[in-house]
Amino acid sequence: MKKLVLDIDGRLVEGTAAYDKGTLWVHLNGQTYTVDIAQRRTTRGSKAGSAAAHFGEIGAPMPGKVIKINGQVGDEVAENQVLVVMEAMKMEYTLKAPIKSRITEILCEPGQQVALGQILMKLDKA
Amino acid sequence: MSSQAKSARRIEKIAIANRGEVAVRIIHACQELGIRTVLLHSEADQGSRAWRLADERVCIGPAPTAESYLRIDRNIEGAIAAGAQAIHPGFGFLSENADFAAACEKAGLIFIGPRAETIRALGDKISAKKLIEKANVPTVPGYMGEDQRTARLIVEAERIGFPVIVKAAAGGGGRGMKVIRSRAEAGELIASAQREAQSAFGSSTVFLEKYLDHAKHIEFQIFGDFTGRCVHLFERECSVQRRHQKIVEEALSPSLTPELREKMAKAAVALAETAGYSGAGTVEFLVQDGEFYFLEMNTRLQVEHPVTEMVLGVDLVKAQILNAAKEFRLWKQEELVPRGHAIECRVYAEDPYNRGLPSTGRLIGMHWPEGPGRRFEVGFEAGDEITPFYDPMIAKIIVWDEDRPRAIRKMLRVLDETIIFGVRTNIPYLKAILSHPEFVSGTMTTQFIQTYFPEGLEPRELSDFEKTFAAKALPLVRHGQAVDSGAAPSSGVKDPWREGWRFV
Repeated sequence: MKKLVLDIDGRLVEGTAAYDKGTLWVHLNGQTYTVDIAQRRTTRGSKAGSAAAHFGEIGAPMPGKVIKINGQVGDEVAENQVLVVMEAMKMEYTLKAPIKSRITEILCEPGQQVALGQILMKLDKA
Repeated sequence: MSSQAKSARRIEKIAIANRGEVAVRIIHACQELGIRTVLLHSEADQGSRAWRLADERVCIGPAPTAESYLRIDRNIEGAIAAGAQAIHPGFGFLSENADFAAACEKAGLIFIGPRAETIRALGDKISAKKLIEKANVPTVPGYMGEDQRTARLIVEAERIGFPVIVKAAAGGGGRGMKVIRSRAEAGELIASAQREAQSAFGSSTVFLEKYLDHAKHIEFQIFGDFTGRCVHLFERECSVQRRHQKIVEEALSPSLTPELREKMAKAAVALAETAGYSGAGTVEFLVQDGEFYFLEMNTRLQVEHPVTEMVLGVDLVKAQILNAAKEFRLWKQEELVPRGHAIECRVYAEDPYNRGLPSTGRLIGMHWPEGPGRRFEVGFEAGDEITPFYDPMIAKIIVWDEDRPRAIRKMLRVLDETIIFGVRTNIPYLKAILSHPEFVSGTMTTQFIQTYFPEGLEPRELSDFEKTFAAKALPLVRHGQAVDSGAAPSSGVKDPWREGWRFV
């Protein structure tokens, strides 16, 4: 982490920055932001985290443990029906069906530790 | 009885059955009192800040809490092996576990907290409610029966009338709490609360109560000494909560009249004295339409204890230790005169722009802007890892100033200057909360977050100025840093300044 004084359009501007594993971290005027230099396809956070990166795949929005799976392969599920319950940092999070659909594959089991973005369940249009 | 001889023994070494910032807080108090410390830690916390600061360390098991921090036997074995005379449980984990307090006593260790039977009577919300009803303190209508079958709980929820809240009987804090708004979702939410309760506290027992929908959360700090005398240390307001987890706390409350304050303080002290309470404790109330209702009593130190310390000029952790050693002179009630205003913000490792989902990783840099009336309770340093195993709190920031508007402005300034690199944090969220007109006016209720920030924050665009600064900064900080083998040079790929950025 380095404090920097940079010339931006003729003005001296003070900020702080650090680089780690392909990500630039910047703190400037009370705000922190990152720039993903490595251009990995999935950046951390919201992109990898949204359950419907591709329709039909339920991905883990954070690393954690699968607590419960509602339903079996072949089951029809309603929009917003809870499919998977996860626990991370002692709080529970529910992953819901984005639309009315059918479970085609279950790729996790209760008790399993899963990584960020790991696909837990696959769905098909009902 | 032998406990007399044991407790008269001087405390020279304290075992800390906790982690993170509270372990650091306890170590600091011990260091100032000239007491040695031994940290009872999990494998995952080896090398953490508390691990480095403690005089000695005993590893009590693997990362999952059920195999380490919640293991009564391993904590006690560790404390004895290290030659400690007392155990400080901090908050969370075993801090409100009567079996742990009893096991400490049996092993000849001083448990820094109330007696086991007091914890049993007050810490279990079901018996506490019965006790406080005897003391004529108003309570919220609810169900606290032993029949824990889901079907019965659903029937009781309907009788109370929705919205109904389901809570862990053995718990504290927000763990295992859910609001049920209709019969349709009752079954799923009750089952979820029972699982969270089992996982967090080792008991799946839950109870139900009427959910007050525009109440303030106001709690009284009390302290009883070893002779049975008890005082109150005024109140804290903690209405800013998300999923029943407190985020911003302050002392005093901006919305109590002197009359209501006195009534509530009296009720809190009466309850503590009835229970023969010794040590630090907190009586939580909900306040709605000028009425107050007992919520629960926490038989331990609270996360938000620093705001009380700041307005009263006391050290509650030292008071706990000295009281346990029977070397304590309790304050007289009239000596406790609050001055100014204190605010605490909990800094969590989470993504404020993605519904507050936890963010894990290695902290690569941190800066805490010191200054008068600013206090930082920090559990981590650069290089430490935020793991998915534990609570996501990185630190607490506490400010004091002469009045509430100044304290809010100071906190906003401190949040602007605080730097945390490596994980995403809720700092932007905290600033939005502190700037909100309802918070500024002091009229916020426990519905505040759900009403104004249900999904966290909306992402905003990075300005050209910010992109230019980043572009110029990159070559200055990239040199000498480890680079991913897969990292492409920025010239060979799509322009990262266009789409690779985000606010954290």
